Amino acid sequence: MLTARLIVLSLVFSAPIAAAAQEADTLGAARVWSVSRRPVVKPAEEVFLPAVTGAPTRIDAVLRRFSGVQVKDYGGIGGLKTVNVRSLGSEHVGIFLDGIQIDNAQNMQVDVGRFSTDGIGTVALFPGQKSRRLQSAKEYASGAAVHLDSARPSREDGSGGRVRLRGGSFGTVNPSILWDKALCRELTLRTGAEFIGSNGRYRYPYFDTTLVRENGDIRSLRLEATLFGRFRHGDGMLRVYSYGSERGFPGPVIRRAAGFPFSAERQSDQDFFVQGGYELDWTPRYATALKFKYANDYLHYDTHPERNPMALPYDLHFRQRSAYVSLAQSYIPADPWSVDLSTDVQRNTLQSDVGHFVTPVRTTFVGALATRRAGERFRVAAHIVYLGARDAFNTPQAGGWTRENRYRDAWMPSLCLFYAPAEGIEADIFAKRSYRMPSFNDLYYAQMGNSNLEPESAMQFGGSIRFNGERGPWRWEGRLSPYINRVENKIVAIPTSSQFRWTMLNIGKVDIRGCDAKADIALHREGWDLGLCLRYAFQQALDHTKPGSQTYGNQIPYIPRHSGNADLEAGWKGWSLRWSATFTGERWSRAANIPDYYIRPWVLCDASLFKKIPLPSFQNRLETPSLEVGLNCGNIFDTPYQIVQGYPMPGFNILLSVEFSW
Amino acid sequence: MLCGSLALYACHTDPVPEAPSKDSALTGTKVDVAGIPSGIRKIFVLNEGGMGANNATLDFLRVSDGNYITGAFKKMNPAEGAGLGDVGNDIVVIGDEVWIVVNNSGIVEVLSAKDETEIAAITIPTPRNIAFDEHYAYVTSWAGAFAQYTYDDKGGVTLTDFKNPKGQVYRINLETKKIDGQVEVGWQPEGIACYNGRLYVANSGGIACSLPPDYAYDKTVSVIDVKSFKVTKTLEVEINLKSVCSDNAGNIYVTTFGNFATIHSGLYMIDTRNGDAVKKIGDYVSAMTIFGQTVFCIGNENELDWSAPRVYKGWSCTKGVKGAFSLPVNCANLHGIIALDADTFLTGDAGDYFNPGSVTLYHKGSISWTVPSGVCPGHFAIW
Repeated sequence: MLTARLIVLSLVFSAPIAAAAQEADTLGAARVWSVSRRPVVKPAEEVFLPAVTGAPTRIDAVLRRFSGVQVKDYGGIGGLKTVNVRSLGSEHVGIFLDGIQIDNAQNMQVDVGRFSTDGIGTVALFPGQKSRRLQSAKEYASGAAVHLDSARPSREDGSGGRVRLRGGSFGTVNPSILWDKALCRELTLRTGAEFIGSNGRYRYPYFDTTLVRENGDIRSLRLEATLFGRFRHGDGMLRVYSYGSERGFPGPVIRRAAGFPFSAERQSDQDFFVQGGYELDWTPRYATALKFKYANDYLHYDTHPERNPMALPYDLHFRQRSAYVSLAQSYIPADPWSVDLSTDVQRNTLQSDVGHFVTPVRTTFVGALATRRAGERFRVAAHIVYLGARDAFNTPQAGGWTRENRYRDAWMPSLCLFYAPAEGIEADIFAKRSYRMPSFNDLYYAQMGNSNLEPESAMQFGGSIRFNGERGPWRWEGRLSPYINRVENKIVAIPTSSQFRWTMLNIGKVDIRGCDAKADIALHREGWDLGLCLRYAFQQALDHTKPGSQTYGNQIPYIPRHSGNADLEAGWKGWSLRWSATFTGERWSRAANIPDYYIRPWVLCDASLFKKIPLPSFQNRLETPSLEVGLNCGNIFDTPYQIVQGYPMPGFNILLSVEFSW
Repeated sequence: MLCGSLALYACHTDPVPEAPSKDSALTGTKVDVAGIPSGIRKIFVLNEGGMGANNATLDFLRVSDGNYITGAFKKMNPAEGAGLGDVGNDIVVIGDEVWIVVNNSGIVEVLSAKDETEIAAITIPTPRNIAFDEHYAYVTSWAGAFAQYTYDDKGGVTLTDFKNPKGQVYRINLETKKIDGQVEVGWQPEGIACYNGRLYVANSGGIACSLPPDYAYDKTVSVIDVKSFKVTKTLEVEINLKSVCSDNAGNIYVTTFGNFATIHSGLYMIDTRNGDAVKKIGDYVSAMTIFGQTVFCIGNENELDWSAPRVYKGWSCTKGVKGAFSLPVNCANLHGIIALDADTFLTGDAGDYFNPGSVTLYHKGSISWTVPSGVCPGHFAIW
């Protein structure tokens, strides 16, 4: 791809190029219709990673910069990292890899910290609806979505690769390799491997003294292989992925008697999936996309009471299996008008040795009918999605209950409008209703579950005004996106008449009003580049569950009313310097917004310096190999902060990296 | 039963008018003390907090001026930066000392009842509840409970090592504040009471019910002889036992939680004069308190249907005979109750269990006042 050679300073300017490149990729030899070329919905944020020098190596680090996104981070390399978008819980946020959802039927939380940016091209955020030709029904059904799309092998001769070694604070060692090899004219094989080891030890303030985080170590190994195919009338991809890890959970920071550790909990995972997709243009007007996935995830959680007398003695094992097939069809009766029908079927099972476990089997059907008309200036898309899930049980009787098979379903309509009144100005609005099914834990977990739960619903309204332009060496872009979300039937854990037996109920209501804003300006002159990107998010997320209660009308836990970040970048002759500041305003860890649960605002500064050194070409290849050396400094001012109460984040840390690509 | 030498000692050394207590500057919500029986100086309220949130707090009502003061531990012990700790599970006043069991901190905290300052912090793994005799405190503990097993691909479980899955009772010397003995009881022991040289320990099996090989609750009361400090008898009652109290007239009362699905919560009586015979008194007990020889129970009529609103009904029991008792409990989630006399009750409402709850005084069948408390007010003690 052309763009790979350009040093594009700011993340944002890569977006249009990436989108254009991707369209050219996916359409192959078929005629390019206007309805395919003109998006009705643009992502709120999009980054084309290969164009960024010193790009983050973990997905969570990319998402953290996005306006409207909150990454809930429990600290350390092994700590859980989940994504909230516009005050919607992480259960509403779908994470898609090449259009196929990475899901977790057990608790509907995806740990984005596990996913590497190796081989990823674009990372895009859709806070409302995504509307593209040939997307799967689940892509329509997700309340908000993060899309990770592989970078297609770029080299003219289809071969190339990259070896990288990173290491630094917390005893971190992180070697990885990515290697593309053209098998024939149509097929390229990409293989990747990565190891992460870290002792997870860092100092943090413990009330009036300083302690070191213990039992936060991790070892993980990722192995994957992807086969990319490009044929005359279609594109295909087949990926085999395996991830294994063994880690400790350091536990919340609490008062603990001397001599007892905070935690000795360990977890090991073995995740495997194989997924693939094939897009085929049957006629210039009719195309299909077939996608499938099989995933098998094993988890072992052990509190190790023999090492920690304070531990509750749990030693639990879980195995999730998921099989998924999607068929999307798109027809263009008259350009720029298209009609799409997508149908997905998925089957999830969860096995466990938790006491009285019912071993649920969920069969989900998602159907989506979509139509869009993409004029030059005015564009519209309408979608209707049906979501149905049937739960059955391999062991229907457990713990005194008989679980009855249940069918839950929901209709989710959405409408998107786009208007471009003049060059460089665009506006869009959308309205959407979405649901998330209760997770297996919500329904069936032995000490919590309530099998009478209904899906949790989110009503979303939003709009954006965008502008961009350039004059001489200057380029700028801006966006302002107000929105209103309303969450109803929110699934909330409350105890039964005994505090020993909790349950989940559909009782929560949250009203969210917010606005994301972004401004980006870049200067490109002979030999050097400067860029400044500012983002701000306002989120008022009020608990409206029970009028008259002490939490009614208060900000819901952990959502800052004000947050934002600033990125300053400079590039000169292969050098790239980046300075980032992140601000999170005051928050509360409970809906009771009282001083006891107040979390102070914090500002975090990171910096990085990278140098890319071109090396002499060899074997007469078109692309020259290069060496990239980088230094990342995190939390430069050693600011103590917490994202989740009781889970201190690391102070000043450094990571060095050396990367050779050919 | 709890007084003993400490109270006498305290009286003996304070013949002159007391100097103002160090906590006299603390003020809180003013409440009406009418109805609170004379002789009560302070009522302590232990707020459990949430597991892992480190927000157990101690409130108290100073009867002399009607101040309800929240967060007293932190205010009076600023040097203990981490506060009272994680999950306050039991509180008892003995003499001029307040003993607080902080479950997930592994600490039994001993405070001065006069000014809430720390006297000692005793380390005990996963402590749950506490009882006393003249020389010792006895603390139930879940520690030591673990089993090891392997899981195969077909879902089968093989027990590879089954080590001491039972809980303990720790004995603490009241003078030295040091542990001087422990004895193994049943699975996840909870409530404990001392009567006539014997300890009665309720074993819940609250964790064992989700562990192999049996996946079962415990259903026994362990009886410990105080002199030999050995379990002399194990009484079978009902599954998932919770609280124990003594009427000091030969009857021991035990509450159960049931299994939350088919078996109701209930109250059982152990007749110590009749060979520890076990007798069922009645169903529906969410919270229990004893005054004199009468046990007051509040139960939720909809306890097996968690989606249904709580319908709290009261009943009582004297010497094994069920009697009437009504209290207009107006709670989202009743979490604790204490009888100040037969006509005056304090209840703790845990609300949604995440946010601060409230404490309400009932006098002669009507509400006198309600004040905001800490999170999950569940345990009370009178000084």
